[in-house]
Order: sequence, then structure tokens, then C-alpha cells
Amino acid sequence: MKRKVFLILCMMLVGMWLSACATTQTAQKPYRISPQGTVIWEDEFEFMPPPPDWKLLRPEGGGDINFGFMRSDLGGFPSTTTFAYDEEPFGCTAASFEGREKEFFKRFLFNAILNFQVLDRKEVQVVGGEGLQVDVEGKDPVRGEKVRARVIFGKRGDRIIGFYITQWRPMDGTYDTAAFDIFDKFVKSFKFLKKSFYETL
Amino acid sequence: MEGHQRNLYLYERFNARVVGVSRDDVTTLKYWGDGLGVTFPLLSNVTGFLGTYFQIQPEGKPIFGRRTVIIDKTGIIRYVRDGSPEFKDILLFLKKLNQEGGKP
Repeated sequence: MKRKVFLILCMMLVGMWLSACATTQTAQKPYRISPQGTVIWEDEFEFMPPPPDWKLLRPEGGGDINFGFMRSDLGGFPSTTTFAYDEEPFGCTAASFEGREKEFFKRFLFNAILNFQVLDRKEVQVVGGEGLQVDVEGKDPVRGEKVRARVIFGKRGDRIIGFYITQWRPMDGTYDTAAFDIFDKFVKSFKFLKKSFYETL
Repeated sequence: MEGHQRNLYLYERFNARVVGVSRDDVTTLKYWGDGLGVTFPLLSNVTGFLGTYFQIQPEGKPIFGRRTVIIDKTGIIRYVRDGSPEFKDILLFLKKLNQEGGKP
């Protein structure tokens, strides 16, 4: 009887060890931290990460963004802030940021059905070149929610890329501008470490 | 379709042309294409025979399934993938096909 129990225990331990191995393999991180404290993402991008209370966002099997970060904020639903890097922002035009901006905002947060108001629009420097920054606020008086967003368009080779942050609040909530500063630091620190797939074709 | 539009300059580089096919009528496709800024041809196939030909016509449904097909210059189907287009995969395939001389 003791021998049987021992055998079962050994089998369970082997099973646990194997499953632990499998977990380690699948949990491989797409990034590493440089000695300077920046994140090297898949050997392609380098950036300053946000503070540890921001969770990493990465769509499985592709999606609208490459990767991003999210934080739950104080206050009632839907108090969250999310920012992301997007290699393929909505729209097609690559000739001008203004053209892409018009196309982009036809689809941005489309499902939320918001009335957007442009708060600010200005030319900026981003990833070593010219860019366009657009600040907007959207409101949904029916659900009593609002969102403030900053979208920054830049160029990578011939194509337009985007960074954006969205901060949701209940209609009577106040925005946290410090989150936008963290986003700005992320964008300012962002570098391409190699040519994009499209530039190598 | 937006992704194909973004890649048009690369398709041209690889001597490829893109055409979209849908069961929507011409007027619907025109508004839809204009809204997205699509400049390549969108074909309206209301009767659905192309869906039957390419085996993407679900029985009893008035829509096509999503399928990407690459046809070379001799009319041979060289690439078929279901679901949303894998743009990088498509571009690599077109580049290879163009280098082989089998222009799509």
C-alpha cells in the first residue's frame, strides 16, 4: 500500500514538474530591461516604461494595437487610463497627418458613439521626426461618461504610426493630467531600434 | 480593406493588383469604399456566383466568408487563406512570387 502511494506521489511530482516547464516556456516575455532602465521590446522598440502600477496590455493574435499599458483609476466606473503604441492606426492615408487624422477619428472609439470635440492640435517632434498631436474630449450624456484622449501621429519609413492615450471618467469625474505626463514621457523616449517589416521589403 | 489600401504602394512594387469582392450592391459598396478611402476596385457580386466558384458561399446566407486568394498572371491560384488577411504573409508571398517572375 505504502509503495503504491509512493508511486502515485512520484507520478504527481513528475506531472507537476512537466507542467511547470510548460508554463515557463509559454510565459516568455517579449521584452527585456536595459541597464539604463528602458524597455527593449522584441529588439525592435526602446522606451521608458510607466510606473509599476500600470499593467501591460498586449493583444493575443493581433489586434488594433501593438502593445500598451493600462491603469485603473480612483473613482467610479469607467475610471481607467490606457495608452498604446499602434503600428497601423485607423485610416489609410500616409501622405499627410491631417488626412490620416480625419480618417482615424471616424473609427477611434467608434463603438462608444461619442461626440468628440478637438481641444488642441499642434505639430510635435516624435520618434526623431515631425508629428501631429491632437487632444480631444468625447462625451456620452446618455450613459453619463466622458473620455479625454491624446493621439500623436508620427512616421516610420513611408507609413504613419500612432500613439494614443484614453482616460475614461464618469461625467462628473476629474481627469488626472499626471497620466498624460507619463504618456508623454513614454512617447518622447520611444525609439525604433531597427527598420520596420515594411521598410525591409 | 483598410490594410490593403495601406499596402497598395507595396502591391504595386510587386506588380500585384488588389480587388475586393462582396455580395453588397454597387451603391452600398460605393458609400462603404468612399467612407474608408478605398481606391482599388470593389466588385459587387449580388448573385454570389463568385462565392460558389471560390467555395466561400455559406449555404443559405447572403454573405461571403472571408478568404484571401492570390492568382498569378497565368490564372493559377497560388495562395488561399481564410479569415482576416495576414498582411505580412501576403506581402512576403507577393515579393517571392514577383522575384520568381510569376507576377500575380
